[in-house]
Amino acid sequence: MIERMTSMERMIAVLTGQKPDRIPVNPFILGFAAKICEIPIGDLYANAKKSFRAQLLCAEMYGYDSTPMYAYASFGAWEFGGEIGFPYEPGQSAPYIIKHPVETPEDVDKLEVPDPKKAGSIPIAMELAKLCYENKMPVVFQVGEVLTTAANIAEPARLLSWMIRKPDVVHKLNKKVAEFFIEVAKYFTSTFGADKCMAFTGGPIESNKLISAKQFEKFVYPYMKQIHSKVLELGVNIILEHPCSDQNANLPYYVKLREELNWKGKYVWAFGPETPLEKQIECFGKYDVIMGNVDPPSFQFKSFEEVLLLCKDNIERGIKNPSGYILGVGCELPPLSPPINVYALIKAAREYGSFK
Amino acid sequence: MGKEEILKKLAEATVLGDVEMAVSYAKRAIEAGIDAYEAIMNGCAEGMRIVSEKYEKGEMYVPEILCSAEAMYAAMEILRPYLKAESIGERKKIVLGVVRGDIHDIGKNLVKLMLEAAGFQVIDLGKDVPNEKFIEMAIKENADIVGLSALMTTSMVVMPEVIKEIKKRNPKIKTIVGGGPLSPELAKLYGADGYGKDASEAVKVAKSLVGG
Repeated sequence: MIERMTSMERMIAVLTGQKPDRIPVNPFILGFAAKICEIPIGDLYANAKKSFRAQLLCAEMYGYDSTPMYAYASFGAWEFGGEIGFPYEPGQSAPYIIKHPVETPEDVDKLEVPDPKKAGSIPIAMELAKLCYENKMPVVFQVGEVLTTAANIAEPARLLSWMIRKPDVVHKLNKKVAEFFIEVAKYFTSTFGADKCMAFTGGPIESNKLISAKQFEKFVYPYMKQIHSKVLELGVNIILEHPCSDQNANLPYYVKLREELNWKGKYVWAFGPETPLEKQIECFGKYDVIMGNVDPPSFQFKSFEEVLLLCKDNIERGIKNPSGYILGVGCELPPLSPPINVYALIKAAREYGSFK
Repeated sequence: MGKEEILKKLAEATVLGDVEMAVSYAKRAIEAGIDAYEAIMNGCAEGMRIVSEKYEKGEMYVPEILCSAEAMYAAMEILRPYLKAESIGERKKIVLGVVRGDIHDIGKNLVKLMLEAAGFQVIDLGKDVPNEKFIEMAIKENADIVGLSALMTTSMVVMPEVIKEIKKRNPKIKTIVGGGPLSPELAKLYGADGYGKDASEAVKVAKSLVGG
């Protein structure tokens, strides 16, 4: 196919309910970009300029449509006074926590909501955001998820057992985390203007492999709603929500969130491969964009032909969403994927996802 | 209170994650002259078996399991000093850890818990474990099984190397892999003898491999 739109035009078309020339592709690429550009994955998180350059070049080389962003799953520990390491060693692919800032319930009492201008990785995220802004790309900032962030602050097993033993402590911590994310949202929107910003949120601790839907309702939902309401109120119109791993049992609460927010703004749902596209379309199809969820490990371990078929299947099912579809991967694309398998996404989008 | 009732209450305390109750019934078991090993296996471990079943059915989740573990370990603290060597017999030994570069250990810790409850002796190497450490400990401890866990696609790639080296040094040692990005197909590709999609399956697989 001959591409008639730029990546930006294509994304805008989908987000505004118009038909693009072909479905856009957002492969959720972070560490892979570093590999392609032959820089250490650590630089992708520790150095904004190198990160921006690697993500941009990788997107240009393949022709996919997402723009650079800064986010990672262990967010929160450093920002609230703990210590993280950057992934410079073999086997590592994302920042990891060296010291959790909270070890006891008393630590939660003493914990102060950090100043977003100085907190942990935020200055790096801000530097990358400025590069995006200067290059007329959307600015993406991270605002969750709350429980994942609280777990990064207090250590996951400790936080999870506190949910039973000391629920008040968890609520106290979640409250501070929510407050912090709202401050982060204010910082980014006041720097760039809300219309230039997109919010990103997601995390694995909310997964139903770890917690029940009832626990999600009690410990996640109120804070998630508080943050999202504020982000939308600030004027941010697009929220990229990544319910990581298996969150099928939490689906009713995500629907409830959208209903209670009167379907304000435009959400891009990026569920894990465990959640069928058909179910997502049923829940959000009338208003929101669905981002595809091709199984991530398949990119690393399957052949090009097999990956191409998976992408084709995802397109054929996702394209039925009345409010738009983006071909994507169900979580971060494995950094060690053979480069040719990433091309399968673009090839599939061009061959099976073009509009006349 | 009779023996059966005490054991039942011990199991119940484990399921409920009630530390106080678990300690209380562990003490009662000793006072009633119940063999400590029997109290662990038919009380605490039975409780964890129920927990595992409930997790599989989606009736219990990790926060509750962590509390059950706390109760089980509290009861075991009371019972352990009374264990007689002849009751324990020879327990199957498993060396367990999260591979190099990976620090995600919730899954591994759940597997450890379930294995201990099922009577295995677990040598926990922790997280971010170098390949050499797995190999060294497997040989040194004369392990029956080595269990390798990984959450990240970047870290799991060392598994075939570890498995190959262990098999080279002692082909009798069985290997199990598990963790988010793994699958039965990958486990086979990596040369592992078994794959556990979650903690309770890992125990079933371990038992089937060594008859534990």
